[in-house]
Amino acid sequence: MQENKNISFGHNEFNIQGKVKGAMASFFKRRKKSIQISKNEEPGSGQEKKKEETGPMQAGKSEESSAGKSGEASQKQPDALYTSLAANLDKIKRKTGNSPDVVIRPIKVGGAQAELETAVVYVKGLVDDQSIHDFLIESLMNNAELQKELSPEKAMKTIKDDVVAIGGIKSVKKWDDLFADLMSGNALILIDGSEEALMASTQGGQRRSVQEPTTNVAIRGSKESFTESLETNQAMVRRIINNPDLWVESMNLGKMTKTSVSIMYINGIAKKEIVDEVRTRLKQIDIDSILESGYIEQLIEDQTMTTFPTVYHTERPDAVAGNLLEGRVAVFVNGTPFVLLAPAVFIQFFQSVEDYYARFDISTAIRFLRVLIFFISLVGPAVYIAATTFHQEMIPTALAIIVAAQRESSPFPAFVEAIIMEVTFEILREAGLRLPKAIGATVSIVGGLVVGQAAVQAGIVSPAMLIVVAITAIASFATPSYAIAISARLIRFLFMVSAAMFGFYGLILALIMLIVHLCSLRSFGIPYMSPLAPVIPSELGDTIVRKPLWAFGKRPQLIAAENRTREGKNQKPKPPESRGMKHYTRKEEKDET
Amino acid sequence: MEKARISAFQLFILIVLFELGSAMIVPLAIEAKQGAWLAILIGAAGGCGIFLIYYALFRYYPDESPVHFVRHIIGSVPGKIVAFLYILYFLYLSARVVRDFGEMLITIAYVETPLFVLNLLMVLLAVYTIRKGIEVLARTGELLFIVLAFLFLSAFLLIAAGGTLDYGNLKPVMGEGLAPIVKTAFTQTIYFPFGEIFAFMMIMPYVTDPKKVKRTGLLAITASGFVLASIMAANTGVLGVELVNRSLFPLLATIQSIELADFLERLDVYFMLAAIIGGFVKITLFLYVSVAAAADLFKVKKPSQLAYPLGVVVLLLSIMIAGSLPEHIQEGIKLVPLYLHLPFQVILPALVLLVAFVRHKGRGKEGEAK
Amino acid sequence: MKRKWILFSTMMISMAFLSGCWSKKELSELALISAVGIDRDEDGNYMKAIQIINPGNVSSGLQGGGGGQAPGVTVITAEGKSIVDVHINASAEISRQLYHPHANLIVIGEDLAREQPLNTLLDSFDRNAEFRNTAQLVIAKKSPAADLIKVLSPVEKLPSEKIYKTLDVTEKMRGENITVSLQDFIKTSASPGIEPVLSSFTLEGDVKEGKKQENIQQSQPETIVKADGLAIFKEDKLVDFYSGNMARGVVWILDRVKQTDVLLDWKKNKDAITYSVIRQSTSVSADTSKDLPEITVNVKAEGMIRETEAPVKLDDPNVIHELEKTAEKEIKEQLERTVKQTQNKKTDIFGFGQTVYRKDADKWKKLRNNWNDDYFPNLKVKVNVDAFIRRTGLRTAPNLSEIKEKYE
Repeated sequence: MQENKNISFGHNEFNIQGKVKGAMASFFKRRKKSIQISKNEEPGSGQEKKKEETGPMQAGKSEESSAGKSGEASQKQPDALYTSLAANLDKIKRKTGNSPDVVIRPIKVGGAQAELETAVVYVKGLVDDQSIHDFLIESLMNNAELQKELSPEKAMKTIKDDVVAIGGIKSVKKWDDLFADLMSGNALILIDGSEEALMASTQGGQRRSVQEPTTNVAIRGSKESFTESLETNQAMVRRIINNPDLWVESMNLGKMTKTSVSIMYINGIAKKEIVDEVRTRLKQIDIDSILESGYIEQLIEDQTMTTFPTVYHTERPDAVAGNLLEGRVAVFVNGTPFVLLAPAVFIQFFQSVEDYYARFDISTAIRFLRVLIFFISLVGPAVYIAATTFHQEMIPTALAIIVAAQRESSPFPAFVEAIIMEVTFEILREAGLRLPKAIGATVSIVGGLVVGQAAVQAGIVSPAMLIVVAITAIASFATPSYAIAISARLIRFLFMVSAAMFGFYGLILALIMLIVHLCSLRSFGIPYMSPLAPVIPSELGDTIVRKPLWAFGKRPQLIAAENRTREGKNQKPKPPESRGMKHYTRKEEKDET
Repeated sequence: MEKARISAFQLFILIVLFELGSAMIVPLAIEAKQGAWLAILIGAAGGCGIFLIYYALFRYYPDESPVHFVRHIIGSVPGKIVAFLYILYFLYLSARVVRDFGEMLITIAYVETPLFVLNLLMVLLAVYTIRKGIEVLARTGELLFIVLAFLFLSAFLLIAAGGTLDYGNLKPVMGEGLAPIVKTAFTQTIYFPFGEIFAFMMIMPYVTDPKKVKRTGLLAITASGFVLASIMAANTGVLGVELVNRSLFPLLATIQSIELADFLERLDVYFMLAAIIGGFVKITLFLYVSVAAAADLFKVKKPSQLAYPLGVVVLLLSIMIAGSLPEHIQEGIKLVPLYLHLPFQVILPALVLLVAFVRHKGRGKEGEAK
Repeated sequence: MKRKWILFSTMMISMAFLSGCWSKKELSELALISAVGIDRDEDGNYMKAIQIINPGNVSSGLQGGGGGQAPGVTVITAEGKSIVDVHINASAEISRQLYHPHANLIVIGEDLAREQPLNTLLDSFDRNAEFRNTAQLVIAKKSPAADLIKVLSPVEKLPSEKIYKTLDVTEKMRGENITVSLQDFIKTSASPGIEPVLSSFTLEGDVKEGKKQENIQQSQPETIVKADGLAIFKEDKLVDFYSGNMARGVVWILDRVKQTDVLLDWKKNKDAITYSVIRQSTSVSADTSKDLPEITVNVKAEGMIRETEAPVKLDDPNVIHELEKTAEKEIKEQLERTVKQTQNKKTDIFGFGQTVYRKDADKWKKLRNNWNDDYFPNLKVKVNVDAFIRRTGLRTAPNLSEIKEKYE
């Protein structure tokens, strides 16, 4: 039994080795741990206990290891490949339901005398056709070594070492792994008489190319945005941060979809606890499918009873790089250009990468504007309702007369009017969003005409209300993060109701409640409102204001780990005189020439 | 006690908001006429003195809630009785502030709305916050403080720019001599609002750095004393003593008299925002303290469960404590300082401190003997 | 737990819908009051004229809503035993809830102001949170307050706005009126050692004509409301009206003059030179060392020459200096005359008593009881004036060619 356990761990480790691509660093970490476990194994002590001791790392592997263990125990894993090629191919066909895009290409090797049956299996469309043809099938057919007489084991070794001219190649022994690899676009080489199969990484096929970002648009800055390919996305970040400390861990989530998900962070900058927490939460996900990073976001949030996003998402590589450098952890999900960043703080949603590219005075002004915008989109209609139905005394007389004159003909109370207009606007927005671009324009024209002109002329709504709704609407578009804008859209209705019931008293109470709620949120343990509340004086410089870049001393203390130094001292640019450089004047110019 | 930590800075902000709470909207220390601001400052100095008593007690038991250590000091049963009395005291004070705000809202804008409904909303918000815990309240305080600071600074600027401020109204400062000022300070301002800092006995153990509590507390009382004094001075400067004296909410009248550039006028919402923020913090803190103390005393595992029942108690109490606004106010000026504040804020803590001092000294000597 | 939450939220929501919105009032259900005028009839009842804004007629830019066709305001009148009583009675005449906060003008009839102390009259305004304490208070001179309210105004669409702005402008330009808000009046009347003053307005022409829209459809309206000096109070009752230089004297001592013109005599030419005061500051101080305090009024005025009808060599600094002396003398005389006459009226509208109180509270305690009647009339008041002429406009000497020789 003792023996078996050790083997099972070894096996397990092997599998992981096979699975983890690219992340050598994390691989070493895991390996170290498993070795430790094997060493510490004492006869008589239960394996379960050991597992617990090794913490979250180990917990994730339990499924695989137990499978391995039971397999070894019966000396023949039910999960293992058959020796016969025909049986293997038959199983593949049965399992894939004879799908025509699963291509099985039989090839005979081993010379004329001892013909060895082999087959290449791949899924059409998922693989890179060129590598299959040029580096796999052609090599298999034309290689001189393979034309000699061979045993299956020898053939396997030869193919692995000499024939296939593809970077990634590895052996597979289990059906689970085999199908996972096959379905992710790898090509499979099966040899009759071998219990192993070879897996060549030939992933490719049609993918959307790198394009300009559509959601986080910036005037200045990189024009690249993420694509649907996880590898491409990771590479884009790696291209920005050329540092071995940029670590990636990968895993497959979703029982059906087996989506590749990977977490990326900078070792030494990201806090270990936060990385562990992200990893633990990801490992705990037990769901059939992960179709978009939104799935992950909803499953790893700290609190679900909130309209506010506690995980940041972006499709800009430079935004991810910037956040990684602050100590955050990025979660990449295959199949979506949106990358998650955690932990997120409230103020982050009002910042755009461009703030750091522009000079600080301009960025500060724009950030103030954004907070104002958010506030308007939150309370705009509510203030109108409160002022016109409860606190008419607070409106300046001239304005009160104008509004009163407009309200004369309106058949609805202000609240109903506001609700009608807001809902109409939301309908228009939703319609414009979903329709093809050409028709979308029509919708906005019709909407603008009908709601704007006709409704006012017919006296159904007052122009003042229309102005309020329009400003609110534009404000909600101007918020840099869609995630926060949409939560403001929702809360706006709550504010409108409270304003309609109790005027400014209701509105102020609702606002305080909102603040309490915001302060109670946490994102991966980090208070959502930090560094405003709890206030961290040294970091207030990068909140609503942005201090000059030369004054950015340290990384955020709640997020970043021990390495918090961001820039050296005395970074403020100085005029050349301070270094003794002579003034470049007209006279000197003459002397020189 | 819940597992929570607040920073010294958060304590500072909570104290300031708490002190300003309801004190900024009422004609504080107006019995001292033009010298009201001086009476407030003297009151703040007295408040600092009282705070030192509390701090001395806190120093003996820096990690324990007063509900616990009062039992160590004066014995289990008397300790429990004293703790229970304090819970009632805090509930009553919380109800008083709720009533203050309900009455204010009715008087200035919600004439037809029942007091019960206005109070209910306020108490609901307080309960909601308490269920989130002291850390959240402290963080909320930080954000609200920014809002309040902005309101105050802009209001002072507007008053100064609007030209309604007449420094002459502040003269003569001591028309009747120093006596009425000192008398007002000792019969009113020391206890309300400064002595009410007693509630923070329950909150001090949460502070991460107990060494900073003393400095923070004294600084906060001084700061709030100066803010209150300048509010009263501004009120008197704009309205004159007689009008302030007759006003229930002089700050409202002061803000209403701002007229600038034909547009910056009718800024009642300023007043409402400031008043509700202050009131919210004060009510919530009082209620929190009673909830925490009750949970400690009756060994309730989840203190937040007590928030609703005690919230209901405060709500009902706020309706029942007085039949009319004048009755409520007269109670607040005449009865409460003498029969509630003085014993609960000064006499009892001082006695407990004395006992603690004697006991610890004895113990200290024993230690030396050994 | 979940069920409890559902129950709780259902309760909250139903509570909101069943009961909410007590203090709610839609803007279109309100009659915005712009001004009120209060008089008293022979039976001792209060009569109140309430000027209500017709929003549709005022904001004419809106969808061609007949601005200019119909008057911007409607006036309703009612009677009653108390001010609030009148207010409630008035609601019988109007389809909407009367709404006070936008009223920026209160007009009190002369007769009423003479009979009844104003602070008792104004209690309801002061007490009611709905009423703005920044509303201006004026006295209707020689006519009922209601008439002032009823007359339609040219230029301004709201008659109340007309009076309000006239007051503002004339205070700034002429210095014979002073804006006094409700709060100012109550504050002053409650303060020891000072009596309130108010601006007064008179009606020129026939009120019947003034009520009609035709009145303002001509280039020179038949009936017009104009500012006319100050109303002087003693113990909150109207005692007299001041106009012209007397009124300005009061405003000057109260340090409320912003700009004004002083006509100076030059040689034999009477009122030949117009000295325009651009800025001034006046301070009143008291010397309380003697039994009866002595008051000193220090005036410092700065300004320019705006007009000359006499030959005067304005480019000569000595002449300017001489003119300054003349101006000082003129202003001093005017102020002294104002003080003297007011002392005869036995009402301390200048706040000399307040100055004494602020200087020496103990002294004031002895004097306060009979201040207006015994001490104020006998006060020794010294007026010091420093006048400066800083510039003389675009030209130096006046273009009076035929008398040029007389210069020498």
